[in-house]
Amino acid sequence: MPVEIPKDSWPGSVNTVTLGATGDQGGSRTSTVTIGGEQSLPFMHFENPTPHRPVIAMEVAAARPADWSAVLLEAWGSTLDDPAVWARACEDAGADLIVLQFGLKGSDDGPVSAEFAVEVVKEVMDSTGLPLVVLGPGQAEIDNSILVPIADATKGERIVLGLCEEGNYRTIVAAAMANDHLVLGKTPMDVNLAKQLNILMTDMGLPLDRIVMDPTTGALGYGIEYGYSVMERLRLAALQGDAMTQLPMLVTPGVETWKTKESKVGAGIPDEWGEWAERGVNWETLTAVALIEAGADVVVLRHPQSLVRVRAAIAELTASETA
Amino acid sequence: MAGYTAKFDTVTEAVMVSAGELVVEVADRAGIEIHQPCGGQGRCGRCAVRIESGRVRRRSVLRLSQADLDAGYALACQTVVEGDVSIVVPPPERIQRRLTTDHIAPESVVPEGYDPEKAQTVRRVLLSLSPPSMDDQTDDWGRVAMALRRATGVDRLEASLEQIWHLGGILRSSDWQIAVTFVAGGTEGETARLIRVQPATEAENEPLCGLAIDIGTTTVTIWLVDLTTGRVLHQASEYNQQITRGEDVISRIIYGSKGAGGDDLRALVLETINGLVEAACRRTGIDHRAIAKATIGGNSTMMHLLLGVPPESIRLEPFVTAINNWPLLRAEEVGIAMHADGVVDALPGVASYVGADITAGVLAAGLRSTPDTTLFIDVGTNGEIVLGSSEWLVTCACSAGPAFEGAGILHGMRADKGAIEEVWIDGNTYEPTCRVIGNVPPRGICGSGLISLVAEMFVTGIVDKGGHINLTLETPRVRRSVKGAEYVVAWADEAETDQDIVITRVDIDNLLRAKAAIYAGFNVLADVVSVGLESVQKVLIGGSFGKYINVEKAVGIGLLPDLPWERFDYLGNTSVRGAYLALLDREARAEIARIAASMIYIELSADNTFYEAFTSAMFLPHTDLSRFPSVAAAMTNEG
Amino acid sequence: MALSGIQIYKMLPQTNCKECGFATCLAFAMKLAAKQAELDGCPYVTEESKAALAESATPPIRLVTLKGKAGEAKAGNEVVLFRHEKTFYNRPGVFIRVLDTEDDEVIENKVRTGSSYSVDYVGMELRIDGFAVEAASGDRTRLATVVEALRASTGLPLILVGSDPAVLSGGLDKLEGEAPLIMGADTSNWEAMADLAAGRGAALGIRGGSIEELAQLSEKIKEKGVEDLVLYPAVDSMSASLALNTQIRRLALKNFRPLGYPTIAFAAASGDQGRESLMAAQAICKYAGFVVIDTFAPELIYPLLVLRENIFTDPQKPIQVLPALYEINSPGRSDPVLVTTNFSITYFSVANEVEGAGLPAWLLVTDAEGMSVLTAWAAGKFDAESIAKAVKQFGVADKVDQKWIVLPGHTAVLSGELEEELPDWVIKVGPREAVDLPGYMRQVLN
Ligand code: SF4
Repeated sequence: MPVEIPKDSWPGSVNTVTLGATGDQGGSRTSTVTIGGEQSLPFMHFENPTPHRPVIAMEVAAARPADWSAVLLEAWGSTLDDPAVWARACEDAGADLIVLQFGLKGSDDGPVSAEFAVEVVKEVMDSTGLPLVVLGPGQAEIDNSILVPIADATKGERIVLGLCEEGNYRTIVAAAMANDHLVLGKTPMDVNLAKQLNILMTDMGLPLDRIVMDPTTGALGYGIEYGYSVMERLRLAALQGDAMTQLPMLVTPGVETWKTKESKVGAGIPDEWGEWAERGVNWETLTAVALIEAGADVVVLRHPQSLVRVRAAIAELTASETA
Repeated sequence: MAGYTAKFDTVTEAVMVSAGELVVEVADRAGIEIHQPCGGQGRCGRCAVRIESGRVRRRSVLRLSQADLDAGYALACQTVVEGDVSIVVPPPERIQRRLTTDHIAPESVVPEGYDPEKAQTVRRVLLSLSPPSMDDQTDDWGRVAMALRRATGVDRLEASLEQIWHLGGILRSSDWQIAVTFVAGGTEGETARLIRVQPATEAENEPLCGLAIDIGTTTVTIWLVDLTTGRVLHQASEYNQQITRGEDVISRIIYGSKGAGGDDLRALVLETINGLVEAACRRTGIDHRAIAKATIGGNSTMMHLLLGVPPESIRLEPFVTAINNWPLLRAEEVGIAMHADGVVDALPGVASYVGADITAGVLAAGLRSTPDTTLFIDVGTNGEIVLGSSEWLVTCACSAGPAFEGAGILHGMRADKGAIEEVWIDGNTYEPTCRVIGNVPPRGICGSGLISLVAEMFVTGIVDKGGHINLTLETPRVRRSVKGAEYVVAWADEAETDQDIVITRVDIDNLLRAKAAIYAGFNVLADVVSVGLESVQKVLIGGSFGKYINVEKAVGIGLLPDLPWERFDYLGNTSVRGAYLALLDREARAEIARIAASMIYIELSADNTFYEAFTSAMFLPHTDLSRFPSVAAAMTNEG
Repeated sequence: MALSGIQIYKMLPQTNCKECGFATCLAFAMKLAAKQAELDGCPYVTEESKAALAESATPPIRLVTLKGKAGEAKAGNEVVLFRHEKTFYNRPGVFIRVLDTEDDEVIENKVRTGSSYSVDYVGMELRIDGFAVEAASGDRTRLATVVEALRASTGLPLILVGSDPAVLSGGLDKLEGEAPLIMGADTSNWEAMADLAAGRGAALGIRGGSIEELAQLSEKIKEKGVEDLVLYPAVDSMSASLALNTQIRRLALKNFRPLGYPTIAFAAASGDQGRESLMAAQAICKYAGFVVIDTFAPELIYPLLVLRENIFTDPQKPIQVLPALYEINSPGRSDPVLVTTNFSITYFSVANEVEGAGLPAWLLVTDAEGMSVLTAWAAGKFDAESIAKAVKQFGVADKVDQKWIVLPGHTAVLSGELEEELPDWVIKVGPREAVDLPGYMRQVLN
C-alpha cells in the first residue's frame, strides 16, 4: 500500500549562529561552533537534514563551586579548583563549548571583581580553544560590572555574554555590540516573554544572529513539562516564520537537575530512588534528551558521564539515515 | 532662487518665501507662532492651517481627513510652499475638533419621539376633585381612586399607610386640586401604586423627576431627569466612597462579608449617591420628593452592596450572584434620597462579573440593533467586553484595575477639572504639551491622559516596548527617584499642586496590565466565536475616560484593536445612559431584560487562553506587532 | 478534530427555541464544544449534522486496553501532535521484558521486585504497568511454564513476544480471560497471528520496518476481525524511530485509519543502560503507547516514570511550581519569610527580584491551584488559613528565629486574620509589585 508521508514545509527557519572566532576571524579560538539553521522540527530527516547538530556545553565555575552535589565533586575531583584546568578537561572529554559561570565570590573568597573576572576568562581562553559562554552571577549590577570589562578585554572573540533579562539587558547588549560578541537572553518559561526580550534586544540594534535564547526549562520532575512545551511552541512559531522566535535555544539541564533533591542528596532518601550517582546522571541525561527532542540547540551539562551519553544520543539522532 | 509671497489672515504684510520653505517657517517670519506639540514631526496634527489659495505640497497628510483636505487644511510642519499663497491660521480649539482620532462622548439627547404617556411607568396627573358633600359621602381615598380611574384608566390603586395619613389634609388644603404621582405597568386596568399626592399648585412649578444612576466600583454617576420632557437636568459624578474600603470588587466583597462590613459599605455608597442627589437638587432647585423613580445600573457586586445583599458567593467558585433579576423596590427601603414611596428599578445582570452596567450599556450602545459584528467595551475597574450583533452576544469580564479611572496611579485623578487629559511630547526635546480639563494648571492625570502620555512616551522612545523608561536620555524630565524611574509631566511651578506631576515605572506597569487585560479579553472573545478581530465593523467604547478618548493613542498602546478610526465610537458612560433610557421607556427596560437573557458569558479563568493572550498583550503595543499594522508603520516612519 | 462552538452552531437549527435548556442555539453549541452538554439536548438536529458531529468526535487513534489479572494498560485516544495543543491522554505503559530463556530465579526476582515497585512523586504512587515475556526459547511448553510462574507473582498485564503463533498460544493458554498483547504479526505470519488474537481476545502487535508495511498489515488484519492493534515500527536508531513514530502520529491525526493505532517501542539495547534510558525517554516524549525496557533498576525506572508523568500532565492547567519553602540566596535564621502563590510566573517574578538583588529570604509558596496572588485571593484560595497551613506544613517556624512573614501588598486585608492564625508571627505587608520588593526589604525589613 503506497502511503504518502506527510511532510511539513515551513516558511521559516531557525537563525544560524556561530559562536567563537578563530584567529582568522579576529579571535583566538581553535574551533567555532555553529548552531541553528533548522528548517524542520527536530530530526525530521525525511523533510530536511539537521543542518547543525545540537551541541554540548560543559559548565565550568569560575571559583570552586560550594554548593555542587557530591556526585559531581567526585566525578571531577581536583579539576574543580582551577577553571582553566577544568575547561581543558571538558574539552578533552568532548565538550563543544564551555560555559564559564561566575558566582558572587572571587579569589580568596572575596567578592567577585572585574579584575578577577577578566583574569579567569583569559586563563580559560588560554587553556582551551573552545568557544565560550560567559555568565554573570545573575545580579544586575554585578553582572554589568564584570561582563563589560570581560567584553572589552575579549573583543572579537564572539563570546556569548549573559544573562540578559527583561530588566537588565541594555548594558550587556551594548557591550556585546561594541566588541563583536553575542548575548544570551533568558526568560521565565513563557513564549511571550521570550519573544518580548528578543524584540527589546533587537530594537537596540543587535542583529538576530548574535542572540541565543534560554527559555528556562525546569528539571525532570520540577516543571520540565512547561519548559518542554514552551520550547516546542517557540520552535513551531520559528518555523512558521515568526522572526522573534527564530533564535537557537540554549538550555541548562545541568544547573536545573543537579539542584534537585534527587541528584543532590545521597542520604536519607527512599530506596525506590535507586543508586545515587546513576540516578543523578539519568536525571540530567533524560532532561537533556527530552529538551533536545523539543528543539534545544545547546545543552549545558555538568557530569562527564552525561556528556558521553547525550553525545551518543545526539549522534544517533543526527545520523543522516532515513526511515 | 524662486520667490513667492505668503499672506496670513491675521497679518497685514505679506512675507517673502524662498523655495522649499515650510509653512511653519514662513509663519514664524510673519510673527505667527504655530504651536507644534510633537516638535514638528507631523504626528499630532495640532499645527493644521487652511490654505485659502495657492500651491503647496503636503509632505504628509497624517491626521487629516479627506474633508479636511478638501477644505484646504494642511499640516504647517509638513507642507512646503510652492507658489504665492494665502493662509488662514485657525484658533487651536477649532483644530482640535477636526482631528479624526479624537472621540468625544456625545451629549445626552432625549430619545426621539419620547412620549411619557406611552413610554413612562411613572406619571403625574392633575386631578380636580369635587369636594365631598352630604350627597356625596365617598371617602377621600375612593374619591382619589375614582378620579384617577377616570383620568388614566388605572383600575386599582395601592399606597403606603403613610400616604393615607396625609391624604385628607392635602386634599383639603389644596382645595381638592391635586397632583397624583403613581407608578403603573401601563396596560389598562392594571394595579397602580401611589407615589405622591400633592397640591396641584405645588406640582405646577416642579418637574416630575427621575434618577439614572450608575454605581461604578470607582465612580458613581447620577443624572437627574425630567420625566415629562425626558431632559437631563443635571449630571454629576463622584468617587464611590467605598474606595476607602478597597479599590476593587474583590476587596469590597471580602470586606462586606465580614461583621458589619456589608452595612458599612451600603452606608458609604448611599452617602455617595445621596450626596450627589442633594447637590443636584440644590443646583436645580428641585425638591428631592419630586424624584419619583430611580433606575440603577452597576456591576453585580455594587448592586448587591447597595441593596444590602451578601455578596460572598460572587467571588467563590462557582461564582454565582444572589440575584440577577431584581423586583421593583421602594425608595425608602433602598435608602436613596428621593420620595420615600418612589420606585427603584435595579437593572438585571448576567453573571457575577457581568452586571447591569453591561446590560444597560449594551442597550445604550445599540448592539442588538445591528447585524454587523460589533465590539462593545466598558472600561472601568473591571473591563467588560461584549462581542456580537443582533444575532448573538458573547461577553466576558477582565480585571483591569482602576488605572483607567485615574486611581492606583501616583498622580492619577478622575477626569475632572485640572486633569491632564491629553499629552503630546516633542520627539527631539522630550518636552510635553498637555491639555488640561478646564484649562487650569494641572492637578493630576486622568485615564485618557495616561493613555495619551504613555503612547507619546512610547513613540518618542522615552519608554521601550516593555514600558521601561530609558534613563539614558538627555532630559531632566527622565530621572530615578526612590520609587524607581519616572518621567516628569509637569514641573511643580506649572502644577496646581506645587509638586512635580510624574508618571512612574509602576504607573506604566499598571497601565500595561490594564490595557493588556482588556485587549486579551477581545482576543479571547473573538477566538471563542471564531471571529477575527479585524472583521469587527464597529467598536463602541463606554466607560470612565471622562468625556474624551483619543483612539489613535489607545491603539498606539495596544488597548484597542488596530482598525480604521472611523469604526470607533466613544459613548462615554454607557451604563448611566442605558439606565437613563430604561428610566424613560418601558420598552427599553424590557429590551435590557432580553439582553440579559440572551448574553453568553465566557469565563476567562477556565483555561490558559486568557493568560496567554494577556502576557502577549503586556507589551507596547503588543508582542505580535503584526496585529498593529498602523503602529508598526508609524514606528518605521519615526525610525 | 474537535469543532469550535461556531462550527457546531452552523449545524444547529438556529431558531433559539430554548428547548435544550439554553437561551440560544449558540449557547448550546458552545456548551457542546466544551463537552458540557450532549447533542441529544436539542430535539431538532438533522441526521446530517448528527453524523458530521459524530465523525468529528471519533478519536483518530484507537484506544487499546491491555488487561491482566489485576490492572490494565491503556494506549491511544490521542488527538494532538504536541501536548500544548490540548493534552496527551494515556500515559504509555512501561513494561519490563523477561526472556523465557533466563533462569527461573532471575525471572522470578525481576518480576517480583518490578511488580511491587512503587515510588512516591508529589503524592502520587508511580508504578510500572506490566511485563513482556519473550519466547526466546522457541519452546511452547517453556513459555507456558514461565507465564504460569509469572502469574503466580504478578497480575499485571502481559505482552507475549515471539514470531511463532504456535509457541505463543502456549503462553496464552495461561492467560484465560485476560487481554494481553501478542507481539507480533509480520508479513510472514500475520494470518495465523490474526487468528490467534481473534480467538483469544488478545490485542495484536504488528511489526514493520516502514509505514507502508505497517499500514498494509493493519488493513489486512483488521479485515480478519482483529481491531485492537498496536504498531511496532521496527527500526534500530533513535532517529529512525522518531521519524516513523512521528509519521504514524501525523497520518493518524489526519484520519488515515490504517495507522490509527497506538505504537510500541522496545528500548532494550544490549546492556547499554545509558542508551536504553534515552531511547525510552524519547519513546515517552514522542508518541509511544507502550514502552518495553530490559533493565529494571530503580535509578532508571524512577526518572522514566517521572518523565512520563510530566509529559502527560494537562498543559491547560496553569503553570505551577511545587508548593514549598524555597531558599533564596542562602537565607539564615533571621531572614524574612515572603509568601506567594504557586503560579509559576508569580513565583518567578518574586524569586527573580529578590535573588537578583542579592537579598537572602525564605520564599513560602502556598498551594493556590496555580493561580496568581490576585486571582487566588479573589477566589478564596489564598487566605489566612491556607498561608497558616503552609507555614505549618513546611515547618517554617523551625527554620527561623525572627518570625517575620511578608504578605503581598494586594492582600493587605489578610493581615488581621493571619495574626489570629499565626499568633507568634509578626505579619508585615509588603509592596504590591515584585519590582518593589528589594527596596522594601532594604528599607522596611532592616
Ligand atoms: S433546542 Fe436546538 S433549536 Fe432549540 S435553542 Fe436549543 S439548540 Fe437551538
